[in-house]
Amino acid sequence: MLFKVIHITTYDYDEAITHCHNIANLKPIEFLGQKLVNYSIEVTPTPSYIEEDIDFFKNIICRFSIEQPHKKLIVNSTSIVERNFDLQPDIYSSLIVKKTTVQDVINELKKGTEEMLSVHDFTLDSQFIKNISPEIKQYAEVSLQPNRNVFEGTNELMKRIFKDFTFDSNFSTIATPLDDVMKAKKGVCQDFAQISIACLRSVGLPARYVSGYIETLPPPGKEKLVGTDASHAWFSVYIPQFGWVDFDPTNDQIPKNQHITTSYGRDYFDVPPLKGVLYGSGNSKMKVSVDIRPA
Amino acid sequence: MPDKNLFEKYFNDFEDYDEVLKSDMTINPNWEKLLNNFSTIGQEELTEKQKQIDWLLAENGVTYNVYNDPKGLNRPWSLNIIPFIIEQKEWLSIEKGLKQRAELLDLTLKDIYGKRELIKNKIIPPEVVYSHRGFLRNCDQIQYNTSKNLLIHSADLARGPDGRMWVVNDRTEAPSGMGYSLENRFSIRHSAPDLSKNIHVEQPFSFFKDYHQLLIDSAPVKKKNTTIVILTPGPHNETYFEHAYLSSYLGYPLVKGNDLVVRNNKVFIKTLKELIQVDVILRRVDGAYTDPLELKGNSFLGVAGLLNVVRKNNVSIINPIGSGVLENPGLIPFMNSICKYFFKEDLILPQIASWWCGQEKERNFVLENLTKLVVKPIDRTNREHIYFCELLSSDELEELKKQILEKPYRFVAQEKISFSTAPNFTNKGLEPRKVVCRTFSVAKNDSYSVMPGGLVRVAAEKEKLRVSNQRGGTSKDFWITNSVKTAPTSKQRYHWHNNNTNTLAGIDNLPSHTAENLFWSGRYLARTLVTARYIRMVLNELVDSDSKSLDVLLKSITHLTSIFPGFTGINEEAAFKDPLKEIAIVLFDKNKQGSLAYSIQAFSNSYYSLRNLWSKDMWRVFDATTKSWNDFSPENHNNLKKIIKLLDSIITKLIAFMCLIEESILVEQGLLLYFIGLQTEQAMMCIDKSRALLVSKYDEQTEYEILESLLDSHESLNIYRYSFRSHLNIKNVINLILLDKSYSRSLKYQLNRIRRDVSRLPNKNQDIKLSNSYLLIKEACDLIENADVDSFVLTEDSVFTRAQLDEFLAKLSNLIHQTSLSITNTYFNHSDQQQRQLIHQKQSV
Repeated sequence: MLFKVIHITTYDYDEAITHCHNIANLKPIEFLGQKLVNYSIEVTPTPSYIEEDIDFFKNIICRFSIEQPHKKLIVNSTSIVERNFDLQPDIYSSLIVKKTTVQDVINELKKGTEEMLSVHDFTLDSQFIKNISPEIKQYAEVSLQPNRNVFEGTNELMKRIFKDFTFDSNFSTIATPLDDVMKAKKGVCQDFAQISIACLRSVGLPARYVSGYIETLPPPGKEKLVGTDASHAWFSVYIPQFGWVDFDPTNDQIPKNQHITTSYGRDYFDVPPLKGVLYGSGNSKMKVSVDIRPA
Repeated sequence: MPDKNLFEKYFNDFEDYDEVLKSDMTINPNWEKLLNNFSTIGQEELTEKQKQIDWLLAENGVTYNVYNDPKGLNRPWSLNIIPFIIEQKEWLSIEKGLKQRAELLDLTLKDIYGKRELIKNKIIPPEVVYSHRGFLRNCDQIQYNTSKNLLIHSADLARGPDGRMWVVNDRTEAPSGMGYSLENRFSIRHSAPDLSKNIHVEQPFSFFKDYHQLLIDSAPVKKKNTTIVILTPGPHNETYFEHAYLSSYLGYPLVKGNDLVVRNNKVFIKTLKELIQVDVILRRVDGAYTDPLELKGNSFLGVAGLLNVVRKNNVSIINPIGSGVLENPGLIPFMNSICKYFFKEDLILPQIASWWCGQEKERNFVLENLTKLVVKPIDRTNREHIYFCELLSSDELEELKKQILEKPYRFVAQEKISFSTAPNFTNKGLEPRKVVCRTFSVAKNDSYSVMPGGLVRVAAEKEKLRVSNQRGGTSKDFWITNSVKTAPTSKQRYHWHNNNTNTLAGIDNLPSHTAENLFWSGRYLARTLVTARYIRMVLNELVDSDSKSLDVLLKSITHLTSIFPGFTGINEEAAFKDPLKEIAIVLFDKNKQGSLAYSIQAFSNSYYSLRNLWSKDMWRVFDATTKSWNDFSPENHNNLKKIIKLLDSIITKLIAFMCLIEESILVEQGLLLYFIGLQTEQAMMCIDKSRALLVSKYDEQTEYEILESLLDSHESLNIYRYSFRSHLNIKNVINLILLDKSYSRSLKYQLNRIRRDVSRLPNKNQDIKLSNSYLLIKEACDLIENADVDSFVLTEDSVFTRAQLDEFLAKLSNLIHQTSLSITNTYFNHSDQQQRQLIHQKQSV
C-alpha cells in the first residue's frame, strides 16, 4: 500500500512572536515493511535554521528556529510511505511468540544480554508513565500472570482496554494524569496507549509508545473529507529474539497496512509531533489538519 | 604544650574517633601548634574573636538561603573559629585519591553518554543510569572539545573508624562551596591571625588560578578575549551569595537564563547595546533546567535551544549538562569495579559501604539488616528522603520496605558509620562535633588540580548524625599544614595576572537584566525615601494638633501613595477620627502597593538581585536599614513618637545608602540606569505632591501651613528662607521646587538630569537624540523651560482651583511616564518577551 500523508499544523498569534525554537517529530521512520518513498517539511515563515537530527530513540527529528517576528507559523509535513505488512516477521507462525511467557521475558531481562539492554529503558518510569498505581497493576495482572503467553496476554489486555474504555475526545488533555484516565476509563488513543504501556511495565515488561497515523475510511457511500484525520498512537511490547509487536487498543487490532509509524518513545513526552519554546505575549490558537489517503 | 584544661570537659563521649584527642587522652601532634596558639590567646579573647567573626560574616552579607526558613532569604553563614587540620603528608595521599576519583568519574561520564560499555560489559547495571533523574537522554553522544568531560569535581570526605578519609558523596552537577571556603579563609585571617602563628597553612590561590585558566581554556574557539558568564538561578537559590561572590572574585558577569538568548545555534548575552556571543558558561543551574526546549519545558531558569549550541560546539558549559548523573550513590558499590575496568587498579580512597537494592542478594541483606542502615534514593531530587532506619518506627520501616520492594533499583543502603569528630568552639569551651570535608578539583591539562583544603561543615548539634547546610550547622576553615614553609603568604597572592580582558565591561555591554534591576532599584529607593519623608512630615503635624491644614495633608497621603479610599472615600470620617490607624496601613501593610513597606520590600529585592555589584559598606547599611524596619514591633503601630523615630532612622540610613551607591558603582557598571530611575521617581513624586497640595486654593492661614509642610517634606525650608528671605508665598514655592534651574531638588533640575543621562545611553541604530526616549524627555524639559509661573498662580478670586498648574503638571507627569515606558521597552527584557511553550497537539484518533 502506498500512502500520502499531509500533516499541517498552523499557529495563529494575537501579537507578534519575536523568535522561537522548535523540534518536529513528523518524519516517518523506516523498517522492514515500511518504506519512506518521499518526504518534505515546509515551515512558514522561513526558518533561520533548519536541520535534521537523530534523537536518543533513533527517530528522525527536525530542529528549526525562526528569528523574525511572526504572527503565524505553519508547519507542513508531507510523506509518501509504502506499507507492506507481509514483509514484517510473522507473529502468527513464530514459535518464539507462541512459547514466550511473561516470566520468560523478565528472566531474559535479568540476564542483561546486549539485546535486552537495548530495551531495558522501556521497562522503567518515564515522564508521563511513572509511579504506576496498584489499580493499574491489578488491572494488568488479570491478563498478565507470569506463566501467561506474552502475546496472548497483551492481546487480551488490548481487547479489555478497547471494551472497558470509552473514546471521548473531550475528556483529557496532554496533562491529564494516567490515574485519572484509569479512574474515568475515558480518553483518546494517546491515553489508551499510555495506559496499556503502564500495565505492561507494571508487571516488568518492556513496552514502548508508537506515534504515527492511521488511515480512516469514510462512512459507506460518502466521500472522504480532506484534513479530517489526526495523528494516532498505539503501543508495542518486546518479545525476546522476536522483536517488538504492535497493538492498537483504540481500534482493537494488530496494526497492519493502515498504520504508519512516525516514531518510538517511552511515552508521548519523547515524541510529540511538534514542540517548541517561543517568545512573545498574547493568545495563540492551533489548528491541526491531517490527511491520509492512498497515493 | 597545649593547656590540658582545654579538654577538661571535652570528653569524647562517643566511641568514635576524635581528630585531636586520642583514646589514651593524648593529643594529635598535628594539632599541637594550633592548640598552643589557642591557649595563648585564651578562652575569653577567643569568645570575642568568635563574636567578631560572626559579626563580620553578617556584616559582609555572607548568607546561605534556607528554603522554607522563617528567617527568609538571608540566613547568616556561620563559621567556627577553630579550623580543621590535615597534615600535608596525609593530604598528599588524599589528593592522589581525589585525582584518581575525578579521572574515573570523567571516564564514567564519557561512557554513560557515549558507548555505554560499562553497562554492556555488566560493570554497572542499566537501572543505575537509566532510572536516575540526572541521566539526560538528550545529552547522549555529545562530543566535547574540552580536555575532560567532568571539569569540576567535588567530594565529601569523612574520617572512618579505620582512621582513613572516606568518600561519602560526589558532587558533579554544579558543586557549591568554593566561594564559602574562600570567605572562611579570609575571615579567619582577618579576625584571628594569631591562630596560625608558627603554622604554615597552604593557600588556595594557585588553585583559583587554575580554575580561572580552566574557564578561559574551555572556550570552544581560542580567542584573544573569551566571554565568560556565570549562570545563576537567582537570589532565591540557597547558594546565591556564592554565585555573586564568585562573579565579583573571578570578574565575570552573573546572569540569569533570560539574560541569554540563542540565535543561529550560538548563545548570546543581551546587553544594553547589542547581543554579544558567550563562549563559556559556568553553570549553577541544575542540568535539567538549562534548556526548556529539550529538557524541562516549564523551566524559566535556562535558555531555549542551549543544548543544541553545545552539540554544535559553539559554547562550553562547566560542568556539562548531564553531569548530574554522577551524583549517584547507586554508583558507589560499583566504583571499584569501574576503577579496575578503566585503570586496572583499586580505588585509593575508601568509600562508605553501600548496597544497591537492585541486586537480589544485596536487597535481601538490606531488608534483613534495615535498622542498622541508612537508606537513600539514587538521585538527589528528594533531598528529604534519607532514612536513618534506627530512628524509624516499625510502621515507617514497613512503609520503607514496601517502597524498596516496589522499585528496588531506586534505592541504596549505606552502613551507618560513626565518623570522626573535631573540636568546635562554643561558649562552654570545646565540644566534639561530627565533621564532613568538601574538596574541590578542577581539570588541568591531562589531570586535575585539587584545592589544598576546602570547606569543612560541622553538625548542628553534638549528637547529630547529619551534616548539611540546609539544616543549620556551622563550618570551619580547612587547613592543610606544612612543616616546611613553601610559599609567601603576602597579600599579592590573592590576585593573579589576568590575561583575559573582560569583554563585558562598559555601559554598552551591561546585561539588560542588570540594567533593569539598577533602574528599578533607583526608582524604589526614591519612592521609599520620598514616601518616608512625606509621612514623617504629616506625623509631625499630627503631633501639633492645632494645624488647620491637617485634613488636606492627610488626604494628600492617600493621593501620593494611591492607597484608596484612605482619607478620600466614603468612610473618610472614620479615617479622620483615627488617622494613625489609616497611616499605619500606608506605612506597614506590605500587601498594599504604594505603602512604605511595599516599597522597602521592592527596593530590597532589586538590590539583592545586584549583590555582585555591592561594596561591603553598602551591605552593612542595607542590612541595618532592613533590620531597623523589620525589628519595629507591630505593638508600636499606634505610637506616634516611636513611628517618627523609626522614620528618622530609616531616612538617615537610606541617605547613607544613596551616597554609597554613587561612590561604589561605576557609571560603566550601570550607575546611569540607577540615576535615571532615581530621578524619574523623584520627579513623579514631586509632581504628585505638588498636585495634591498646590492646585487647590485655601484661606491664607491654611495655605501658609501647606506651603510650609510641602517645603518641609521636600527638605527645602531652609533653602527657601535663604533664597527668598521672605514670607512663604505660592509663587516663590513653585519657582523653587518646580522651576529652579540649579537647585538639585527642583523638578526642572531633575528633568534636565534625566535628559542628560538618557543622552548617554547606548543606541544601536541611530543617534540617541532621535530615539523615542530622548524625544519624550526633551519635550518635558521644553515644557518646563517655557513654563509661566504667573499664569499658574493668577486665578480669579471666585475660582478655587489653579487649573493651569494642574494641566501643566499632568502633562509633565504623562511625559515622564512615557519616557520611563520607552526606556523599559528599548533596553530591558520586556514583558512581550515572555517565554512559553508551543501548544501541544494531542494524538487523538
